[in-house]
Amino acid sequence: MNLINHIKIIVQTTNRFPKPDFESGYDYPERHYFVPNEAFWSYIDIAMLVLLMSFVAWAVIRKQVRWPVILTSIISVAYFGFFRHGCVCSIGAVQNVALALASDSYTIPLFVLLMFILPIIFTLFFGRVFCAGVCPFGALQELVNIKNYKLSKTVTTILSIFPWIYLGFAVLFAVTNSRFIICRFDPFVGIFRLGGELPLILFGVVLLIISVFTGRPFCRFICPYGAILSLFSRVSFSRVKITKKGCINCQLCHNACPVDAIRAPYENKVKENRSAGVNRILRYIIFLPLMMIAGATTMYLLSDNFSKVNKEVQLYDKVSENEIRPQEIQSLELQAFYGQGRTVEELKTQVAAIKKDFRIYSGIIGAFFGLVIALTLISLSTKRTRKLYEIDGADCVGCGRCFSYCPQNQIERG
Amino acid sequence: MKRTISRNIAIVSAIFIVAFSIMLITNYFQVSSTDTIQSEVIEKLKQANEENSDNPQLQEQIRELDLLARKAYFTNLDRLKVGAAILLIMVIVFVISLRIYFAKNKDIPDKDIDPIDDWIIKSKTRKYIIWIAGCLALSGILFAALTSPYLKNKTQKAISETEIVTDSLNSLEPLDSLDQETATPTDTAAAPIATDTIEISKVTHNAFRGNNSTGINNAKKIPTSWNLSSGKNILWKVKVPRKGYNSPVINGNKVFFSGADENVRELFCYELNSGKELWKLAAKNIPGSRVPATTEDTGLAAPTVAINGKQVCAIFATGDVICADMDGKQLWAKNIGVPDNHYGYASSLLIFGNSLIIQYDNLNAKKVISLDLTTGNQRWVKERTEKHPAWSSPIIAYVNKKPQLILVGNPGITSYNPNNGEQYWRVEAMSGEPTPSPAYANGIVFAATEYATMVAINAEDGSELWRNDEFMPEVSSPVATKDFVFVATSYGVVASFNAQTGELIKSMETNVEFYSSPIIVEGKIYLICTKGKVFVFSAKGDFSLMNSFETGEKTFATPAFTDKKIVIRTQEGIYCVSSEL
Amino acid sequence: MKAYERREFLRTCGQVIAGGTILTLFELSLRKAMAKGATYFWQIDPTKCTFCGRCETDCVLPMSAVKAVHSVKICGFCDLCGGYYRPNVKELNTAAENLMCPTGAISRRFVEEPYFEYSIDEDLCNGCGKCAKGCNSFGNGALYLQIKQNLCKNCNECEIAKVCPADAIRRVPIAKAYNLKL
Repeated sequence: MNLINHIKIIVQTTNRFPKPDFESGYDYPERHYFVPNEAFWSYIDIAMLVLLMSFVAWAVIRKQVRWPVILTSIISVAYFGFFRHGCVCSIGAVQNVALALASDSYTIPLFVLLMFILPIIFTLFFGRVFCAGVCPFGALQELVNIKNYKLSKTVTTILSIFPWIYLGFAVLFAVTNSRFIICRFDPFVGIFRLGGELPLILFGVVLLIISVFTGRPFCRFICPYGAILSLFSRVSFSRVKITKKGCINCQLCHNACPVDAIRAPYENKVKENRSAGVNRILRYIIFLPLMMIAGATTMYLLSDNFSKVNKEVQLYDKVSENEIRPQEIQSLELQAFYGQGRTVEELKTQVAAIKKDFRIYSGIIGAFFGLVIALTLISLSTKRTRKLYEIDGADCVGCGRCFSYCPQNQIERG
Repeated sequence: MKRTISRNIAIVSAIFIVAFSIMLITNYFQVSSTDTIQSEVIEKLKQANEENSDNPQLQEQIRELDLLARKAYFTNLDRLKVGAAILLIMVIVFVISLRIYFAKNKDIPDKDIDPIDDWIIKSKTRKYIIWIAGCLALSGILFAALTSPYLKNKTQKAISETEIVTDSLNSLEPLDSLDQETATPTDTAAAPIATDTIEISKVTHNAFRGNNSTGINNAKKIPTSWNLSSGKNILWKVKVPRKGYNSPVINGNKVFFSGADENVRELFCYELNSGKELWKLAAKNIPGSRVPATTEDTGLAAPTVAINGKQVCAIFATGDVICADMDGKQLWAKNIGVPDNHYGYASSLLIFGNSLIIQYDNLNAKKVISLDLTTGNQRWVKERTEKHPAWSSPIIAYVNKKPQLILVGNPGITSYNPNNGEQYWRVEAMSGEPTPSPAYANGIVFAATEYATMVAINAEDGSELWRNDEFMPEVSSPVATKDFVFVATSYGVVASFNAQTGELIKSMETNVEFYSSPIIVEGKIYLICTKGKVFVFSAKGDFSLMNSFETGEKTFATPAFTDKKIVIRTQEGIYCVSSEL
Repeated sequence: MKAYERREFLRTCGQVIAGGTILTLFELSLRKAMAKGATYFWQIDPTKCTFCGRCETDCVLPMSAVKAVHSVKICGFCDLCGGYYRPNVKELNTAAENLMCPTGAISRRFVEEPYFEYSIDEDLCNGCGKCAKGCNSFGNGALYLQIKQNLCKNCNECEIAKVCPADAIRRVPIAKAYNLKL
């Protein structure tokens, strides 16, 4: 903490009583206000981030060992979670970046930008090492995960579309400067702060209880940042290998994976005409633009409802209600609005601009939703022959749980 | 061995965690519920204490409760903090012991629950996704359709059509629907006073010349004659402790007015049914306050107070504004600058929504000020481009259901948005010393003052409709309906003009002097001359004298009306006329 | 193996696209980040604040990070202090029924006739703003609310800012962490 007395001089508005003339030689006390040295802490945060991600990458890609992941998880939960209270986190930074790209007035702190971009860069090189144990949310779930009951593949596939939807809405509300919903509905931050809104804490606790029995529900079915990382992880330069030796198709790793990222060998059992398969894919590809248009239209139609999340729009609704029927006792918002001498016309143009933004962005996000669903359908209609167990780069979070299950690794270590 | 120990630890800590979290959650709920209750109770007690004279028992109770509440607040905060920390530690213990217990179990991972062919699963998933996405999109479109603004506009139109009835009653078309005017919430004010079975009228007279200061009141069963000396129809009559030319206002069972002399400037609250003084509040200890020189016929308390059923505000020629709640508890006070005015400051207050509007046309400054009713902080202020001071008062006119604040000055008649002070229009027509307030009816604003002219303005766009300078009032304000505008001059002529064309319809010589303003109520125009003679005219363009009688008391203030009652302030006192005794 | 080659090719394409995306994103937002005036802390603008009391209830912390501060340089040192006493106070003593602060966070010290020095105990203040409202209604406005940066968790989105009726809570640069009246 720095003992700095930063002062911004403000023109005084009220001066009902003059400054007293003291006869007893009174000295005005100096008042100091603590300012935490945020610049320093943000350097530490970035350094920790890079360090921990490198450590995890080294462990899961070079060494095939799990203990560094556990160690990183503990450090991350302790430092990023309980010590730094998890703000600003990379997941939330998505919204800051989206807002910075869309709005001219918002300047994003460099630190927040780095929080967002560094894990992505690491993902492009090494896969989702950030998720493995550096992200305090993932780490927390990793630490409490004990058993791994498998979920139905159908259910997980459907649920894993949700992060994209969540991401879409988060971006929509962020670029219109309405709300940061990822931060608003963050289930774990209350746990890290040992206090907060009860429903959210309970939600976090429920997620943790679920993650005792199955791997990382938040990462798989909610986290929007994980969705972004999975895109980059799909094409990463190097990725987690279960063993350096050859796979012997023993199936042990497959069952050990908490996030269901290990694909079993596959050969086409249901014989199907090749042209039928091609036709189906073609059909979906033709449908893709249609689905995008459908999504865009639906969201465009709903944009007016979404815009109600915005504070200015809410205010405008209240003000216009009041203009028609002046209320005897005005709400705090109205009092402040009129108190600041703002005019209805000015607010009206402002709100019109906001609503226009909402329409445009809702349309774009709707098209994006259509695209996500269409691409999921296309990926579900491809057949890919696999002879060995393979890790799906998009889903693997690099927790390293599979290493010790692989008999090939055990032979190596004796 | 190690496994059993860790298992036992896990079980114990799990039980502890569950029990402890239940405790914490109940504690949390208790805290959040009792906290608010307790602070409300204390607040009520404190208010009770302020109303009562010294009551040591009550004070002791407050002190005890306050201490208790504070202790509870902080210990609970600590408890929550410590509880959360303990819970965290126990969770860590639980997780570690569970990990140790399961450490050996790693060789039996769960089997895949979808042993069937991958392709079948994929096909099934595709089907589900298509269905779910389709349903979501459909329900989205349906929802959008249901909430679409077009649909809403239609239903809202239907709703507002019914609401306009009550709404338009605010100000439009007075005479046509005599049951008009606001029934402002007086419940809060009225409830605690309903001591006996006396019913309290909802008809208010919230400012100078009634609600919105329009000169029209929708009270019913108003007596048309009374006699001060015989006591006929007189409910009560009392002497006023301090002098003032301001008019009484009525809300619920309370009558408010102010009075002032060199020493004290006070706001009074009397009971409507009995004439008993309920409370008074002096404007004192206000920084910046100073008693300016005023003439005898204006004095320090010429502006009428304003009220909204919850707050009452008074202003004095010292520039002091005080605001109190209905029980006389001062909410705030401030000096808005001592008016430099050769007669004395006289513009009455007006309350609009949550703001107090002050016309401040003096030699030192000409502006209109809006203060926040709850804090007294300035909401907005507009400099006015008037050349000379004015003594007239602001009115609120509902033009096409939208409120306009209308002020008369020299030379301008200006309309503002009462919410933010934005100017709608301005017409320059006045000269001399404007004292009568404007009148408004049916989209037309009327302003008149002696040695100038009467002008009628289309309130929608500020275009001038007509001018006429035949009989001009000096002090008394005009009153208008959709057909005619009625004036009372200081040289005794009362006259009515066609509201649309400005033609003189009728004039009548009364040989008295009028300062008090005419009020239209129950289809009649009530007017009192300075000597105290009361005139009741029929409220028509070609009005006729229905009744006139002497009261014998000099009267300068405008009477206030509510159902069955009139409150009239005279030079020396104040009395209430009632149609049922 | 043809399929394998195709897959490798696709992957390289993907890598190029991903790298390109990162670079563009980074470049675009870096321009924003490098612009002057990046803001970090949340702070209340006391000229806008209406003392609505939501700072007490809406902060994510159990005890709000918003506290009343006292600018001694503009204080009138009044005996009858609008922030210290309730508006209709009868006796100017420290009895609970006369005091404004619900938690007893304001204390005063006699300086000389008729002046008193006021100070705030930050540990007790819950940021309800009653004193600030009183001081602004009756006094010089020397009492007002500020977010204490050592307590504030610096949430990515301030919960109070989202309910503030006057929009008084905004981000401020690190170098100007407080909006103090002087």
